[in-house]
Amino acid sequence: MRYPKRTRRRPVPNRTSRLAAAALLVATTVAACGGDDDSAEAGGPKAPATIPTLTNDPLTLSFIWFEWPPAQTLEDFANAEYTKDRPNVTIKVNTVPNANWHDAMFTQFAARKTDFDIAILDSQHIGEAVTNGNILDITDFVKENIDVSAYNPYLLAAYGQFPQAETGQRDENASLYGLPLLGDTWTMIYRKDLIGEQPPKTWDEMIAAAEKCQTENPGVSGLAFHQANGSDAAAVTYNTVNGVYGGNLWNAKDRKIEGVLNDQAGHEAMDILVNKMKPLTAKGSGNWFIDEVNAAVAQGKACIAFQWIAASGGLLDPKQSTLGTTRDEILQKLGFATLPTQKTDLVPLGGMGMHISAYAPEAQQAEALNFMKWFEQADVQKKWAAAGGVPARTDALQSPEFLNASPFNKVYADSVPRMRDMWNVPEYARLVDIENTNVNAALNGAKSPRQALDDIAREQQKILDSSGKKGGAGL
Amino acid sequence: MAVFVDEAVSTGPAQDHAPPTRRFGRRGRAVVEVVLLTVLAIVMLFPVLWMVETSIKENRDVYAIPAKFFAFDFTLDHFKDVFVASGGGRSVLSISFLNSVVVAGVSTVLATVLGVPAAWAYSRFGVKAKKDQLFFILSTRFMPPVVVVIPIFLMYRQLGLIDTQLGLILIYTAFNVPFTIWMMKGFVDEVPSEYEDAAMLDGWTRLQAFRRITLPLLVPGIAATAVFALIFSWNEFVFAIFLTSSDEVRTAPPAIAGLIGGTTVDWGLVAASSVVFALPVLIFAYLVRKHLVAGVTLGAVRR
Amino acid sequence: MSAPAPVTTDEPGQVASATPPARARSRRLSDRWLAVVFISPALLLLLGMSVFPLLWALYLSFTDYSATRGGPADFIGFGNYTAILTSSQVHQRALTTLIYVVGAVTLQTVLGFTIAYLISRRTRGRGLLTTLFLVPMMLSPVVVGLFWRFMLDAQFGVVNSMLGSLGLGQVEWLTRQQTALLSLIVVDTWQWTPFIMLIALAGLTAVPKYLYEAASIDRASEWFKFRTITLPLVWPLLLIAVLFRAIEAFRLFDLVYILTSGGPGVSTETLSFHVYKVAFLGFNTGTASAYGILMVLVVIILTQLYLRYLNKLKED
Repeated sequence: MRYPKRTRRRPVPNRTSRLAAAALLVATTVAACGGDDDSAEAGGPKAPATIPTLTNDPLTLSFIWFEWPPAQTLEDFANAEYTKDRPNVTIKVNTVPNANWHDAMFTQFAARKTDFDIAILDSQHIGEAVTNGNILDITDFVKENIDVSAYNPYLLAAYGQFPQAETGQRDENASLYGLPLLGDTWTMIYRKDLIGEQPPKTWDEMIAAAEKCQTENPGVSGLAFHQANGSDAAAVTYNTVNGVYGGNLWNAKDRKIEGVLNDQAGHEAMDILVNKMKPLTAKGSGNWFIDEVNAAVAQGKACIAFQWIAASGGLLDPKQSTLGTTRDEILQKLGFATLPTQKTDLVPLGGMGMHISAYAPEAQQAEALNFMKWFEQADVQKKWAAAGGVPARTDALQSPEFLNASPFNKVYADSVPRMRDMWNVPEYARLVDIENTNVNAALNGAKSPRQALDDIAREQQKILDSSGKKGGAGL
Repeated sequence: MAVFVDEAVSTGPAQDHAPPTRRFGRRGRAVVEVVLLTVLAIVMLFPVLWMVETSIKENRDVYAIPAKFFAFDFTLDHFKDVFVASGGGRSVLSISFLNSVVVAGVSTVLATVLGVPAAWAYSRFGVKAKKDQLFFILSTRFMPPVVVVIPIFLMYRQLGLIDTQLGLILIYTAFNVPFTIWMMKGFVDEVPSEYEDAAMLDGWTRLQAFRRITLPLLVPGIAATAVFALIFSWNEFVFAIFLTSSDEVRTAPPAIAGLIGGTTVDWGLVAASSVVFALPVLIFAYLVRKHLVAGVTLGAVRR
Repeated sequence: MSAPAPVTTDEPGQVASATPPARARSRRLSDRWLAVVFISPALLLLLGMSVFPLLWALYLSFTDYSATRGGPADFIGFGNYTAILTSSQVHQRALTTLIYVVGAVTLQTVLGFTIAYLISRRTRGRGLLTTLFLVPMMLSPVVVGLFWRFMLDAQFGVVNSMLGSLGLGQVEWLTRQQTALLSLIVVDTWQWTPFIMLIALAGLTAVPKYLYEAASIDRASEWFKFRTITLPLVWPLLLIAVLFRAIEAFRLFDLVYILTSGGPGVSTETLSFHVYKVAFLGFNTGTASAYGILMVLVVIILTQLYLRYLNKLKED
């Protein structure tokens, strides 16, 4: 390596250059040593069980979320309602583009200093955040301050528990690291005028109805769903089909994916997805995510679509839709229903919880605890529902405020008992990336369904097995 | 290229053409050139025009199939949305534009202030290992920004420069200075050092000679380099996304990228913001257009 | 500011002799001082903001440090480097990047030079034309990516809409393996052709007119003039521009990120994008640093070779 050495010669004059080099070396060593000082225990520092005395000085409580309407809804809602109790507090919700959401938060965690006090993590990020000691352990706090019986235990588990429990169950002895903020799941959106008033009840029926609708209405595609290889688009799609057809994502106890994911049911699901469902989608939909699916529905180009509820609000906006000039007109054409069932009735779990950054100053942490306690109160949850959010308390979910706020809220309430989440292990980001890229490849004809699924299983297993190995990690 | 020239001109060099054929050849070639230029211009500019058109369409027409070229409803709402938030008051985008102006402007000025004298010094004086130093300076740009972000981020954290305009300004300047020095050195090489020597014989110091004689002659070069520096700082995305997080500090590219958030994309707003965002750079480039071409000549020809 | 002493033709020697060696020495000293003052700020900034991260990344590349997992950075020697150089995933991305860089830069050079040549033949409106063609380069890659993604959308995009009106089939630009990389090349070409055009134009306008006139007097044809005058004089300039573009294309991230996110599957993942995934999906800071260092080395070595070849060309 001749060249690098040559280019590193220092400029005139020599003394200054030597000094500069020395200074640089010292700085590097200091930074190198200093940067690794990690006193946080894995598992995160614990939050106090009782909320410490709150300050009366003006204080800004910052959240971080990604850019979508619920972020604005939260900010408006919190600033309107929370300030009634705590007038000296301003709530600020910082947002980043969805694709950067995970990176932006975890980069700040990595630097051990965050701009935000409350991180809104996707439920699958919890594992990574907990293992790195980035968020507070609030088990004791929850025991003292939150009425856990008012919640469906799985919701509490999904948005805060680590290690993750078996589906649908909460481990009473496990630690909690967050509380639910916004619930979300998939809704099936269907054209009442093209398919009929009644939504299909089984997955087979749904496919058949979509096929019929597509044949009868040229220019309209039967289905529209997420296929992109970014975020968690394609992965969630496959996981949903996998769940509906009786498959499993992994065996949590043994940490096995190979053989579990790509078992008979898994292969059947992938086959259905690629060979039955994909042909019913529009050409070039291979990189569709939330906005493209919404656009297809709004433009009247899809008979049946699957979309996150929290992202569906815009569908009822006459300004963006060709289905009608008023909200009622649109509602006459669009129907919302829970997902069809097949072998099981599983639906994907979406939504996010609130977690407290371990690096926020004490005063902010105390305020954050107070906010979370306030947020999970019954009346506040109902107000959150009325404002457009999705609460987590059972009584709020069943309240008229929530059910009447928008047509898909009922879908959510009915779906809660059916939800299944993905693995929230620390390696989540890489696992989901493997799944995303391979499912996307299968959907776009770059790989056969069988090959794609086997590759997913094999590579994900490699990651699970190698957590802890040294050298060349991450390739 | 060669093909089209050939078809306009008869084969072989230095032939004795009858004047009428030659005249036809010249006119024919001119026509072909104009046609080709027009076609290329249309192809290159069409996306920009389409972007402008999208920014003045209603969202309904934006997603229309087949695409609507002329028959659409005109609206200026998107431009309004760029500057006015949905609840009234300044929008986040307008704040981010302002941040972009500040960050890009200051870093360009700083890069010029640091780079021009350095380039002049490299050109005039026999600095040790000049060629290597210059190559080293340029090589600092070879690193993919994604890899540089982490140590920079850690460094900024220690210094408290995260989420500050100063932090962005520093890194942008650091990225612009190499190119500035490299390009400006070419310009300075073009200005004969005899001018300065003559001035110094007249009693001026080297510094005065530099300021009064060389600098004015370098203005075209400075203008050209400034445009490139401005373009980089203005449009930069990776550092902006990782080194800033709050709305008050964030520049425009992350803000515009953030428009494709979780729900329906307001492509009209994206288009309008893009148009507004692109204007300042375009205007600046147009103002210095004469210097651009002349400047790049001198700067890049010499090494 | 003292007025400069008048220099008369018959007395320059006297003026010079009026300033003894002491003055000359002090001028040399102040020259050196000036050089230091002028160069240091820039170099210091570069040392701090570009060299330090490079060294820091170099150090990290020999460890298994992870920015999020924290803990001590264990030294693992060349472990990361060997893993990267032998990884088939890296080879795949390297091939993709090579195809992309070669394809894009070639296309840009041809197009850029063509446009520059056409503009240089015009007598009027050059400034306007140049500025017009420069527009794509001035746009943010984010904006370009977003918009081309919209335009290339198989359903809602205007490109397919136009193809449809012409009776041709609809192409799935961004979701089919064959066309995704092509789309990336096309979009990058669209954005950066103006750069080559600018440099080529500079070179073309720098060609002295008298050369052409002399050739015309000798009844030289256009092709001859082009081949013997234009091309040789512009060639070196073009090669520099090609170098710049190749380096930038090699480092490209924004466009891939926005346009295809590396898809379909991973078929448009370039090296730069892969580094991002290694650095931020798994936060394998050590590996990512080694990856980055390797990329820098490749660029430095190739550039040195290229520049030597250029110098040889010039000497010929």
